[in-house]
Amino acid sequence: MEGRLKDKYAIVGVGETEYSRASGRSTRALGVEAIRNAIYDAGLTPQDVDGMLSYHGGDSTPSTTMMHDLGMRLNFYMDCSGGGSSTEALVGLAIGAIEAGMCDTVAIFRAMNGYSQVRIGGTGARAAAPIGGSDLLKRTYGVASAVQNFAFTFTRHMMEYGVTGEDLAHIKVTHSKHASNNPKALMKQRVTVDDVVNSRWIVKPCAHLLDCCLETDNATCIIVTSAERAKDLRRPPAYIMAVQGRGVKPGGDFHYQYAPITRVAGHYIGPRLFELAGVTHDDIDVTGCYDAFTYTTLLQFEDYGFCEKGEGKEYVKSGITDLGGRRPNNTSGGHLCEGYTHGMNMVIENVRQIRGLVDDYCPNWENGEHSYDYAEGGCRQVPNVNITMNMGWAMPGVGSALIMRK
Amino acid sequence: MPIYDYRGMALNITELDSEYKGYFDGAMKHKLVVKKCSEMTCGMLRGEPGAACPWCGSLNWEWQEVSGKGTIYSYQVITHAIMPAFRDWVPYTVVLVELDEQSGEPNPGNGLRITANLLNDDMEPEDPENVGIGKRVEVVFLDTDEGFSVPHFRLSDEEPAGEVWRYPV
Repeated sequence: MEGRLKDKYAIVGVGETEYSRASGRSTRALGVEAIRNAIYDAGLTPQDVDGMLSYHGGDSTPSTTMMHDLGMRLNFYMDCSGGGSSTEALVGLAIGAIEAGMCDTVAIFRAMNGYSQVRIGGTGARAAAPIGGSDLLKRTYGVASAVQNFAFTFTRHMMEYGVTGEDLAHIKVTHSKHASNNPKALMKQRVTVDDVVNSRWIVKPCAHLLDCCLETDNATCIIVTSAERAKDLRRPPAYIMAVQGRGVKPGGDFHYQYAPITRVAGHYIGPRLFELAGVTHDDIDVTGCYDAFTYTTLLQFEDYGFCEKGEGKEYVKSGITDLGGRRPNNTSGGHLCEGYTHGMNMVIENVRQIRGLVDDYCPNWENGEHSYDYAEGGCRQVPNVNITMNMGWAMPGVGSALIMRK
Repeated sequence: MPIYDYRGMALNITELDSEYKGYFDGAMKHKLVVKKCSEMTCGMLRGEPGAACPWCGSLNWEWQEVSGKGTIYSYQVITHAIMPAFRDWVPYTVVLVELDEQSGEPNPGNGLRITANLLNDDMEPEDPENVGIGKRVEVVFLDTDEGFSVPHFRLSDEEPAGEVWRYPV
């Protein structure tokens, strides 16, 4: 049955800072700029926004500071612990807070110096911290970073379905083409399959350096409000058809006790999402599929049902996910090339795709004028985007997803 | 509040750590232990030592020694050490080992899966070319000079039950 709140809420504003490896400032300064950009993008002022949500891993600045700096008086705020897959889930929580009458308009932000301060890859101060609790059975064995925590799923999947490093490299190649048309992208240069498989190993056999996303300094923000309120705002709304998350495998499966370990959370929450939205895979024009690593993208395409289990390697090589293809993925370049944001940049990109206002190299993109020429340094707007889907990833066992429409 | 030094890392294993302390207490006696549900009607073992039985919900448990024999279920060879303690070990292999006890129970595909390093007879990282999914392993204990000990695995002499797979890199 379609969701009771389908199309009743919308993302009306998006904003971010630059993606860099030298922000030269605090997460407070980054967050304030992103929130301010998103609020003004919506045609609102800080005083029009009365709700705030954020997520962090001990590496951000709390909402209380942001509201102070922007002179906001909030009726609701909450800072949540979490990384990837938080964005989509917090869109759902924002809807819940508004539906409960706690507030009317919510800013959701993520701010981090993921390269200059608390490195997302786990090197630096975090790597030398004392080890306790459940980390005792991981870090004691040298398993600390995200890819090291996911690798048992990746390697087992390579065995069961015959995936090669060359297969995975195509994901990076595609996203790099998209990033070459994104003035904001941290890594704009196009790469080849050979570039990826000849880059140095991080974890054998599932991750070369170029299979990994880019540690990035940035902040990102989206504004959620009711469809009613959205009507007279500055930008065309991106209506929220359905949201799920953070949903998990049995027991969360952080320790690979439950088979198949090659199955990820999308298998469980995907059917609920499509049912609530009242759409099928064929209706989705653009995807944003979390690419912390090339492998997270491949696994989610399979388990959300964009292809059969085991056929992800064909799906990512087919051209379907390229600009100009049937269903382009991560048109901004995603985490692999635009920059790592814990997921919010891929929601922002899909909002811009729905608006027809992707900020590419077309001189008059702000008027919605696009060339649809996807050559390097050109356009990255997909024509006639009606429906998009985001697939957020935290762990093999944890994810969130979001379907939006024009 | 014991803080153990292991490869220069500070392992903070407190008296209040009802999940993991027993695992290392067992290792210091050269026993590989897992939690066992104490309910007579259940008695299931669990690979990750949680506070309740995920199969019956009981809060009653005890530590149970297991054989330490198992099969490599998945693996990774880490060539880029995140943690300073492992820089002199790269490339080192981490294995996900499915223990012989309770394999395929209570549902097909479930099992007691333990993460550890794959070591050789010199208690150094095994040559990564020798790892393989399906290979048989047995527990070994890496002792520190201070009497602390960490369970690991090494390749056993047993023939694998089925095919062995390793990605050729």
